[in-house]
Amino acid sequence: MTPIVRPVTVPSFWNDTGKSGVAAWIFSTDHKRIGLLYLYSVLAFFLVGMTLGGLLRIELMAPGRTIVGPQTYNALFTVHGVVMIFLFIIPAFPGAFGNMVMPIQIGARDVAFPRLNLLSWWLYVLGATIIIVSLFTGDGPPDTGWTFYLPFSERTGTNVSLAVFGVFIVGFSSILTGINFVTTIHQLRAEGMSWGRLPLFVWSLYATAWVQILATPILGITLVLIIAERLLGTGLFDPGRGGDPLMYQHLFWIYSHPAVYIMILPAMGAITEIIPVFSRKPIFGYKMIAFSSIAIASAGSLVWGHHMFTSGMSDRAILIFSFLTFVVAIPSAIKVFNWVSTLYKGSISLEAPMLFALSFILLFSIGGLTGLILGAAATNIHVHDTHFVVGHFHYVMFGGAGFAFFGAMHYWLPKFYGRRYAEKPALAAWVLMFIGFNITYFSMMLLGVKGMPRRYYDYLPEFAPLNLVSTVGSWILISGVILLLINLFRGLWKGEPIGNNPWGGATLEWTIPSPPPTENFDADPVVTHGPYDFRKTGMP
Amino acid sequence: MNPLLITTTQAVDPVFLFIFWICLVLLIGITATMVFFVIRYHRSRAPQPTSQADGNLWLEIIWTALPAVLVLAMFYYGWSGYLSLRDVPKDAMPVTATARMWSWSFTYANGKTSPKLYVPVGKPIRVELVSQDVLHGFYIPAFRVKRDVVPGMKNYAWFVATRAGSYDLFCSQYCGVGHSKMITTVEAIPPAEFSVWLDQGGSGAGGKKLLEKYGCLGCHSLDGTTKVGPSLKGVWGRKEIVVTNGAERSITEGEPYLRQSILDPKADVVKGFPPIMPAFAGTITQEEIAVIIDFFRSDAASASKPDGEQLAKEKGCLACHSLDGTRGVGPTFKGLAGSRVTVLKDGVTRTVTADDAYLRESIRMPAAEVVEGFQPIMPTFPELQDDQVAALVEFIKGHK
Repeated sequence: MTPIVRPVTVPSFWNDTGKSGVAAWIFSTDHKRIGLLYLYSVLAFFLVGMTLGGLLRIELMAPGRTIVGPQTYNALFTVHGVVMIFLFIIPAFPGAFGNMVMPIQIGARDVAFPRLNLLSWWLYVLGATIIIVSLFTGDGPPDTGWTFYLPFSERTGTNVSLAVFGVFIVGFSSILTGINFVTTIHQLRAEGMSWGRLPLFVWSLYATAWVQILATPILGITLVLIIAERLLGTGLFDPGRGGDPLMYQHLFWIYSHPAVYIMILPAMGAITEIIPVFSRKPIFGYKMIAFSSIAIASAGSLVWGHHMFTSGMSDRAILIFSFLTFVVAIPSAIKVFNWVSTLYKGSISLEAPMLFALSFILLFSIGGLTGLILGAAATNIHVHDTHFVVGHFHYVMFGGAGFAFFGAMHYWLPKFYGRRYAEKPALAAWVLMFIGFNITYFSMMLLGVKGMPRRYYDYLPEFAPLNLVSTVGSWILISGVILLLINLFRGLWKGEPIGNNPWGGATLEWTIPSPPPTENFDADPVVTHGPYDFRKTGMP
Repeated sequence: MNPLLITTTQAVDPVFLFIFWICLVLLIGITATMVFFVIRYHRSRAPQPTSQADGNLWLEIIWTALPAVLVLAMFYYGWSGYLSLRDVPKDAMPVTATARMWSWSFTYANGKTSPKLYVPVGKPIRVELVSQDVLHGFYIPAFRVKRDVVPGMKNYAWFVATRAGSYDLFCSQYCGVGHSKMITTVEAIPPAEFSVWLDQGGSGAGGKKLLEKYGCLGCHSLDGTTKVGPSLKGVWGRKEIVVTNGAERSITEGEPYLRQSILDPKADVVKGFPPIMPAFAGTITQEEIAVIIDFFRSDAASASKPDGEQLAKEKGCLACHSLDGTRGVGPTFKGLAGSRVTVLKDGVTRTVTADDAYLRESIRMPAAEVVEGFQPIMPTFPELQDDQVAALVEFIKGHK
């Protein structure tokens, strides 16, 4: 996916260095170009993942075989999960918007290590390529689920080792991005950009970066151990040889639960930028929102065991993990209340970024509140490993992080293209997505409460009606996504030109031209007010 | 909570409703406030913001403390319900659930096995969970119980069916291509009916226990060797010459003779054995005699040919191999016997006839010759006896 260089007459990072063509992009160390490379890469994988998800829903439309056999179905949900999690949602916010926006928001000319930044993208591409190759070589695409639980993933004849190796490589991309962002935020803030004036999107990326640095190495080790089990027969997780299958689950979730916060924290950060701007009011409770990002990142690193309440883990461990899980709910609630309070006595404009941000609050709340049912030990036992979990995490990951990502695309991409999308089709796309989303995933939660397990190729007749409803919902949802992308990119390509500050934002990216020049700022900015002080921006 | 007063469903459902209602109130509150603000302060009504408030300490304290109290209540309630799921009533009946790719088998205390989980209504059941291969999940939605079945680990679950009926039992932990076919049922039946069912066709561990209890096995072997008394192997229906009051006569061993030989052994002694067995009249109950005689009878039954159809169901063959010609995970059984199949052996493709030898080998060593187009994923069944394999082959041949 190479972005096409557009004919922009004003000097900007698209053309002011005089370097164009594919090589000038894929070897560029400019944070904006790397951010766009990430954007197109993750969007390509989002479309792949969405197609696989759509096929899954068609297969589940009716009991029995609809379009594919059970082996293909198992590969579909495995690859859907791997692609969406490791190739779309984890790199999406830090890679695309973190890169494009964060250095400008803190008044820097680039990230601290621009070459390392380019290496991160290349590692991502390399890992992704290996994953794609694993689908078409060996004895077929992996069929283990994205969790690669042992001993099954040791026994299956499918191409698990290569896919796992690809994910291992992608992990390094994430670690390097984390290191780069922590260093950048510590070292490259402009004069006057104190920690208390840091935009909350930057705060959320900062918390995320620490999780990336600290948790991802554990995923790396875990994945190497899977490969060792398969190729060397080490038996680390094989009870017949003194191993323990539960130890694998601990190792996997020690990373993969905090990974949920890598996905959701920057999404929360993005809507924290959007809501004040479209309400023309300072964010309510700046310190509490910044603090809650750090609290979620720290406490969220200690709750992995709530994925294992039925595993046979000790009751004492369940007591502790259930308690910590409820503790994480508190900072999430604080954020929601502060977002809603920001609206009070504002002047609210319901443009596309704001609609996505507000629907984020609703969908994330549903995802978070259903998480309480999963966090309570007794109720977890009934709904764990059912479609309730599938519905729940899609509310958090797609209704949360996904909707925030689409909101962020409408909010920030005009800045980097200098043109904007058309508003009415964007609203129509939002309506389709919002309705389709709820039909698709709410049906899944109902199925789960009725007892339909997840990862089921076939199901009993009593589950048929809701599965059909869910599938129809997925068609509405997908048509909304397609409309959204067409309208957005059509607008970025030939839409109405915008000035520096189309939304009336008070953060630094709105003080420079759209699209920005390569060096971002003519002279190093001096920050004199907070990120949400709209009285100082000279806007009406 | 006293587990004797509560079912697993009663341990989970109130917690679910408690959390659900709190969440619903919170969600409606948040959404209604948001929608109200959006309408009331829409730019068309409020062209300028009328406040620049950026925080309020008391509000922050309230909306930190209130959720904290609510979630701690949820945590506590959820935890106490969970304890009821772990606390098995003392009078629970033990059953062992054995999971394998991709079927369930339930073993009762008397050794009887069944592909469905038959339970008496009103009796708590403690299920010991055993996996023969990968992770599985034991899940009965109706009773809200779920526990992973982990190889090499002793896990358990308990439940009680308070009403007769058939309840779905799923595998909840992904275990490969037959995962969604790894379904069976809990059949809750009245206790009287259950004890009849349990005694039928069991492998007779109950009878065997009684034989041990009364010391029978000291003199009578179960494996055909002659000890002080005649062997009990194949005793049912055996022709014997007995000595009655000094006179020899020929009999066929059946219920009247066996019953009499337990209660009053000296009456008819098998020729060639000394009349030294003590009488058990007054020591043993009629029910126990019935169990022992059933044991002899079933011992005889088990010596006869195994039932191929029963085996195909119990061992989970039918989860992957259809009987009606539809393509499953493995080739259909319909028309398989005698057909020409293309197989992959040691990386070389060749065509063979699926004769008895091929079918036998495919059951014994599934990975040796896999039919083209299918994954080499069929597990081995080392526990099958040769006559059981033969019965399966006959069963497959029966589906033309």
